[in-house]
Amino acid sequence: MGSPKNVYFAITATIIGFMVAVQFQTVSEPNVRDTRDTWELRQDLMEEKKIQSQLLQEIRSNEEKLVKYETERQQSRAEVLRDTLSELKAEAGLTAVSGPGIVLVLRPYLDEFGQGETTTYVSPYLLKRLLNELYLNGALHVSIDGQRVINTTVIREISRMTKIDGHSLNKFPLEIKVIAATQQEAEKLFNRIQGSTIVEDFFIDNLQVEIEKPGDDIEVPAYQDPIRIRYMEPAESGKGGGE
Amino acid sequence: MWLPLMGLVIGVIIGLLTDIRIPEEYANYLSIAILAALDTLFGGIRAQLQNIYDEKVFVSGFFFNILLAASLAFLGVHLGVDLYLAAVFAFGVRLFQNIAVIRRILLAKWSSNGEKEKKNDIF
Repeated sequence: MGSPKNVYFAITATIIGFMVAVQFQTVSEPNVRDTRDTWELRQDLMEEKKIQSQLLQEIRSNEEKLVKYETERQQSRAEVLRDTLSELKAEAGLTAVSGPGIVLVLRPYLDEFGQGETTTYVSPYLLKRLLNELYLNGALHVSIDGQRVINTTVIREISRMTKIDGHSLNKFPLEIKVIAATQQEAEKLFNRIQGSTIVEDFFIDNLQVEIEKPGDDIEVPAYQDPIRIRYMEPAESGKGGGE
Repeated sequence: MWLPLMGLVIGVIIGLLTDIRIPEEYANYLSIAILAALDTLFGGIRAQLQNIYDEKVFVSGFFFNILLAASLAFLGVHLGVDLYLAAVFAFGVRLFQNIAVIRRILLAKWSSNGEKEKKNDIF
C-alpha cells in the first residue's frame, strides 16, 4: 500500500468517524430510563400541575390586561370623538351658551308725548347690518328674539314680515342677546355699539335701540331646528386648505 | 493499514470531544450520509484488495454519495415520500456486497497463504 492512498483512506475514515460520533451523540441523547415509581410520578405530576395553574393565571391576567387596554383605547377614541363633536356642536350653535355679554332691546320709538308710529316692522337689512356690526366688534353668540343666529341663519322679508329662520319678528320689544369672549370684550362691544351709527339707522325706522350694560351671565339659547346642508361637500384633502 | 483505523478512532474521539450535536430534524440526513460514507469506504477497501483502486473515484464517490444521499432524503421529506429508504436500501445492499467480496478476497488470500506455507513446509 502506497502512503498517499493510506492518507486518503485515513482522512475519509476520520470524517466517517466524526460523523458517526456526532450522530451517536445526537441520537443517543434522550435515552435515559425513567425509573420513578408511582409515588414520585404523582409528586412530579402535582408539581407540573402547579406550574400549569400558575401559567394559566398569568395568561388570564395578561388577557385581562389586554382587554382593559383595548377598551381603554376604544373609550379614549370615543372620548376624543365625543369631545370633537361637542366642540363642533358648540361652534355650530347647537348648544345653549352663557357668558359675559350685552343685551340690545329694540322697541318702537315714542316721543315725549307718548306718540309715535306703532310699527311692527324691522328691516332685514338693518338687522343684518346690526349683526355684522356685532360680529365685527367681537360678538361670539347672538340670538334675536330667542332665535339663535348661526352660520346658515336667514333673515329676510316675506310679505312685509321680517323673519329669522322662519320665525316672525313682529312682537316688540325685540331682545337681541350677544355673548362675547370675556367681560372686557363685552364692554368693548358695548362701547363700540353705543358709538356706532347703527343706532341712528334704526331711529330712522322709528325704532329705538336700548343697550343694556354688560352683564356677567347672558344666556343664548341653542339653535332648535336641525341644520340642513344641501350644497356643501367635504373638501378633498390636499386640494383645498387641508394638508 | 493502521493509518485508516487510526483516522477512524481519531475522528470518533474528535466527534465525542467537540460535543457537537445537530438538531433532531437533521439526524436523518446525517445517518444517510454516514451510510453512504461507509459504503464508499468499504468499496474503497474492496477496490484496494482487487487492485482496481483509484483515488479520484474514491474521493469523488465519497463526497458525491454523501451529498446524493442527503439530498435524496431532503427531497423525500419535502415530497412526503420516504425516499431515504431507497438510499438506505441501495447503500445497505452495496455495503453487504462489498463486505462479502472483501471477506472472500481475504479468505482466499488467507487460504492461499496457508497453502503456500504448507507447500513451503513440504518442500
